[in-house]
Amino acid sequence: MRAFTAIVRRELIAYFSSPLAYIVMAAFLLLQGALFALIVGYLSQPGQSSLSILQAFFGGTIFFWFFLVVAPLITMRLVAEERRSGTIEVLLTSPVTEAQVVLGKFSAALIFYLSLWAPTLIYVVMVQSQASVDWGAVAASYLGVALFGALFVSLGLFASTLTRNQIIAAVIAFTGLILLFGLPLLRGLLISSSTLGAVIDHADLWQHMSDFAKGVVDTRHLVYSLSLTGLFLFMSTKSLELAKWR
Amino acid sequence: MIEVENLSKTYVDTPVVNGLSFFVPEGQVLGFLGPNGAGKTTAMRMMTAFLPPTSGRVEVAGVDLDADPVGLRRQIGYLPEHVPLYPELRVQEYLTFRADVEGVERSRLNDRLEYVIERCMLADVRRQVIGTLSKGYRQRVGLAGALIHSPPVLILDEPTVGLDPNQIIKVRELITELGRDHTVVLSTHILPEVEQVCERVFIIDRGRIVADGTPEALRTRLIGNPTLKVELGGAGGSAPEALGALPGVVGVEAGAGDTLLVEHHPEEDPREAVFRLAVERDWVLLGMTPEQATLEDVFVRLTTADEMVPEPEGAGGEV
Repeated sequence: MRAFTAIVRRELIAYFSSPLAYIVMAAFLLLQGALFALIVGYLSQPGQSSLSILQAFFGGTIFFWFFLVVAPLITMRLVAEERRSGTIEVLLTSPVTEAQVVLGKFSAALIFYLSLWAPTLIYVVMVQSQASVDWGAVAASYLGVALFGALFVSLGLFASTLTRNQIIAAVIAFTGLILLFGLPLLRGLLISSSTLGAVIDHADLWQHMSDFAKGVVDTRHLVYSLSLTGLFLFMSTKSLELAKWR
Repeated sequence: MIEVENLSKTYVDTPVVNGLSFFVPEGQVLGFLGPNGAGKTTAMRMMTAFLPPTSGRVEVAGVDLDADPVGLRRQIGYLPEHVPLYPELRVQEYLTFRADVEGVERSRLNDRLEYVIERCMLADVRRQVIGTLSKGYRQRVGLAGALIHSPPVLILDEPTVGLDPNQIIKVRELITELGRDHTVVLSTHILPEVEQVCERVFIIDRGRIVADGTPEALRTRLIGNPTLKVELGGAGGSAPEALGALPGVVGVEAGAGDTLLVEHHPEEDPREAVFRLAVERDWVLLGMTPEQATLEDVFVRLTTADEMVPEPEGAGGEV
């Protein structure tokens, strides 16, 4: 447990001692702020009340596009840099297991991701001062954000165990995320089988997020995100064991 | 303290470490000496439970590698080649991190920190960010990290590479001091280093131990007898014969100019006899220098000897 917390702490120090963290944060808040202002302006026009502000904010495309780019930037360093610099050798010759290393790094990246989102809670408070807020839907939306974050980060972490080059790790993670999100978009074009089509419909992360934003916490969505996250963490552990050989 | 039996590592068909077997008693400072790519790093990585061996057995302080790899890691403080560190951490943060992952008990943490900081002379940089330190300091931070959990065994891979001469001297002194209460295995391709620091040397070539002994024993055994370089004035042609008749002298050869190379038994010192002979014969004794073969000679001889023999396919290879 102490080894785990030590790894989390070290990763967080690494995040916040690099300018990348602050640039990502600034860019994120700039884009989210602009989006929020646009949505508020749009919804305050008469006759536009069919959409809730949460649905517009979390179900909107910018949420995904931004994270398709940012998640790989958050995770690319995690293992690739340790392999490049050789610190992995020190870490894995101390009495810690690969699983502890993977979980520590995953937790740190997830904490960083969530800290990007924390300031957006101010928006909710701002909305509440002017209109009623469905707190259940807010909670569901942020649950969705956290679940997706875990999935993004675990995929990125796995990509980072595959190489000692951070850029390659980012490209692999980006490709993986595009595939994960792009699948439902390709459905209409490529797949005629209705069974396979139905499977892909269930894997539609856009739909999942839109449900969370409505306040719907569907167990199937939970299982999907959590099991994929678990799979990527497991593969990261195995890949780290093999990384010593390469 | 360290027991290695028939340790081998093969990559595809290339043996990098080829059946190493040895025993290191407690408190010994052992040097792995060999050219780059001889398999020193690979051997160390297997002994520290980083790389799984292809075959063979490793036991450190009674803990078997196969049975308990994590327990074996607890017995070892390892400093990999090039001293990998986290540049964004401060020295004390790094050492605390190492203490946490090495499982140093909370109650002992402060004592251990103070101990390694003092031992490795890091007091004046303890709050400095590692990325801004000089190579000599970084090396000592790496050593301090390896010492933090007071392991009985230290394994140091090329601990002085890339340092300037002053830093090299300091790190060597530190290793010598550490050798008093730790069993130390270090690797190097710098010969004077093993002569100064190690009590015992393995010369490793192509994954095998080609020589094992104290630096002195290796020198004598492999280079033969010591030689005395004698420079005489007005001696004439009878000198070699007369010198050859002295007790303990094995042979006399002509060297450059007026010098004669007198080969003698290692236990006997013929200098006094040479002096008396010169006085008796009225020769002018211009100089007498004992010539010792260095380990360098041993090294070159051992690691290049069989290059004249056609090599088996795929032998050697970079790590």
